Amino acid sequence: MPKVTVDGIATEVPDGATVLQACEIAGKEIPRFCYHERLSIAGNCRMCLVEVKPGPPKPQASCALPAAEGQEIFTTTEMVKKAREGVMEFLLINHPLDCPICDQGGECDLQDQAMAYGKGHTRYEMNKRAVTEKYMGPVVKTEMTRCIHCTRCVRFAQEVAGVEEIGAVGRGENMEITTYLEHAATSELSGNVVDLCPVGALTARPYAFEARPWELRKTPSIDVMDAVGTNIRLDSRGREVLRALPRINEDVNEEWASNKTRHAVDGLYRNRLDKAYVRKNGKLETASWADAFAAIAGAAKKAGSKVAAIGGDMVEVEALYAAQKLLEGLGSKQIEGRQNGMDYDASNLAAVNFNTTIAGIEEADAILLIGTNPRWEAPLVNTRIRRAAKAGAKVFVIGPEIDLTYPVTWLGDDAALAADLPEDAADALKAAERPALIIGGGGIMVPGLQAASLALADTYNLIRDGWNGYNVLHFSAARMGSLMLGWAQPGGTADLAAADPELLFLLGADGVDFEAFSGAFKVYVGHHGEQGAAQADVVLPGASYAEKSGTWVNLEGRVQRGNRAVFPPGDAREDWTIFRALSDALGNTLPFDTLDQLRDAIAAEFPALADEGLAEYEWAPPKLSDGAPSGPIALPIKDFYLTNAICRASETMQRCSAELIHGEEFAEAAE
Amino acid sequence: MGLFKNIFIWWDGATIGTAWHSLRKGRFIAEDSSGNRYYESKKGPRRRWVIYASGKPNDASNVPAEWHGWLHQTVEDVPDQSLPPARAWEAPYTANLTGTGGAYHPAGALESNRARARASGDYEAWSPS
Repeated sequence: MPKVTVDGIATEVPDGATVLQACEIAGKEIPRFCYHERLSIAGNCRMCLVEVKPGPPKPQASCALPAAEGQEIFTTTEMVKKAREGVMEFLLINHPLDCPICDQGGECDLQDQAMAYGKGHTRYEMNKRAVTEKYMGPVVKTEMTRCIHCTRCVRFAQEVAGVEEIGAVGRGENMEITTYLEHAATSELSGNVVDLCPVGALTARPYAFEARPWELRKTPSIDVMDAVGTNIRLDSRGREVLRALPRINEDVNEEWASNKTRHAVDGLYRNRLDKAYVRKNGKLETASWADAFAAIAGAAKKAGSKVAAIGGDMVEVEALYAAQKLLEGLGSKQIEGRQNGMDYDASNLAAVNFNTTIAGIEEADAILLIGTNPRWEAPLVNTRIRRAAKAGAKVFVIGPEIDLTYPVTWLGDDAALAADLPEDAADALKAAERPALIIGGGGIMVPGLQAASLALADTYNLIRDGWNGYNVLHFSAARMGSLMLGWAQPGGTADLAAADPELLFLLGADGVDFEAFSGAFKVYVGHHGEQGAAQADVVLPGASYAEKSGTWVNLEGRVQRGNRAVFPPGDAREDWTIFRALSDALGNTLPFDTLDQLRDAIAAEFPALADEGLAEYEWAPPKLSDGAPSGPIALPIKDFYLTNAICRASETMQRCSAELIHGEEFAEAAE
Repeated sequence: MGLFKNIFIWWDGATIGTAWHSLRKGRFIAEDSSGNRYYESKKGPRRRWVIYASGKPNDASNVPAEWHGWLHQTVEDVPDQSLPPARAWEAPYTANLTGTGGAYHPAGALESNRARARASGDYEAWSPS
């Protein structure tokens, strides 16, 4: 623990800290462009110069200088100020003065730091450098003349995203950042380079020329595109969400977000349900809320207790709970949250949880992936596995062969391999100190594979002191929340169909096998018009994740709350209020009128959902009969960019899918 | 009716005072295409004035551009003699239409019935079928 003094403040810093980190610990702000806590140190912008004694009598780049015992660091001396002003002047030589038309304006590091270190005039009289445009895909817009060569984007692509597709060519003034062969950046994390870019060289293409940062209302929220529960900030103006940006949460998403999280928000404004519909003579016709409720009340009277409900992939805990209580009032417990018919055993929550935790998987030293594509099912979990793999963990995969951005050993895609692991994988798991197993949605769907994976957890002693290496990787934001509320039947939706319900509630569930419920009076409560709404007899317009305050539980059992950013369009209402109003019409009023009352009711019944944070599950895996799994494993997600109704309505996601997955060329309009 | 109106109201045609003054001190010069009558003082400092066509409100914008010049003594002679003949591409003069059905409304105004530009919060609703 070296002790240093920063501007006369004695500071103790951890071993291996840099001078810049020492200054931050001492509370001194150091300007920087290339340095980023989560990336390797490049030391090429020279903005973080400080004076250090003992050392050469010249300013030192603090980001690349290790802090040493007895160092004296000065951050405010005349020499430091002059040196930084010099660096800023050099940077501004070739930086265009187009701040008024630049999308980074208002949130630009160069702009901010020029306020402190800019000279206010120029001594440069020659022509500025100009760089030809690069095409970096549907989500990143480039203006490479503005680039100051900090290489943050290059380091991000190599180190975090794990795809070497952004690089630099040329040297000195002629250096240019480019995607190799100008290919669209195919990483599902490429949108993060927009946040990393300290200037306006890389900006968000869908958000181009939409708004200035100071016009936007910022609302902390939780992402529902996958089960990671990325902490996001929704930036809205008036009634429209214009962009989603990640918030820092070291345990979940660090400060990254997938492209789907960032850019599916334009889907919130297409294909929306904004009125109630009732089916009359085989056709859906617009109706008032009262008429729609009357139609449901009529059906409920006929159905008696033959009622069921299916939850979709993006529903929050509040709506599920309200629907559950409504059904209990009608005398039914037929509820199921796994709309696509999965029927794994969910009797023990720990056995269907990501127990190692997202941050914890980095510590694993041997990982077995079964029937999962973490790159598409949970991109931010994949970056953690990648980090573990880079730290030396051996990764084995049972499932279809795909590029996971890190070296893996393919064992094959036959589910039978899980019951009888090949020798190298078995040896690695046995020798590992912190072995982990991750079974994905594709794996757990295969009959018998859940039993086999739990058997592996026993055989290889995955659960030991302070370490639980058994993980299920869900891919629906609603999954863990619905399982905690008990939205699981032993046989999945097939059990519901077997009970032959006469009234069926669909909570944003579009992927249901509707054939099996052809006899039921279907009520769809959701926000996007897709199959579910088209099949329904009554459609009630609900709110999307941006339009309601809700609780979501991510794949590791972390209870998180998001806030409402905007109001739902038209007649649409927050989902739990719909069930509350409907319960009145059915003559069985639910006992909560406000969100607080509802949350209190949930907390009283399910204490684990009372507070935000990691829920505790007791490890008591079910005793499953060995099903002897066999046959090839198929992955459930066929197209990363089109996994739910919001993405499918989003023009940006449609374009990403067409361009990055189906390889269509998009001609750029000449500017 | 005419005399009654001339005595009590000022917004339609000349008041009784103006009409009497025009008759005594004014010399009638000409009448333009829309029926406005132009006068010039017979004696003293030269003054020019207009009595608007009956049935039209007393609105200065009823004076066409060419007569505006004459009225404000920009040109000496009546427009027929002092100005070049109207070009084929010149649009006929229209008075100020504000407050009438022919008033201008920008695209997006409720009255214009035209499609407005996209605004924050617009959404496309789903419709069955």
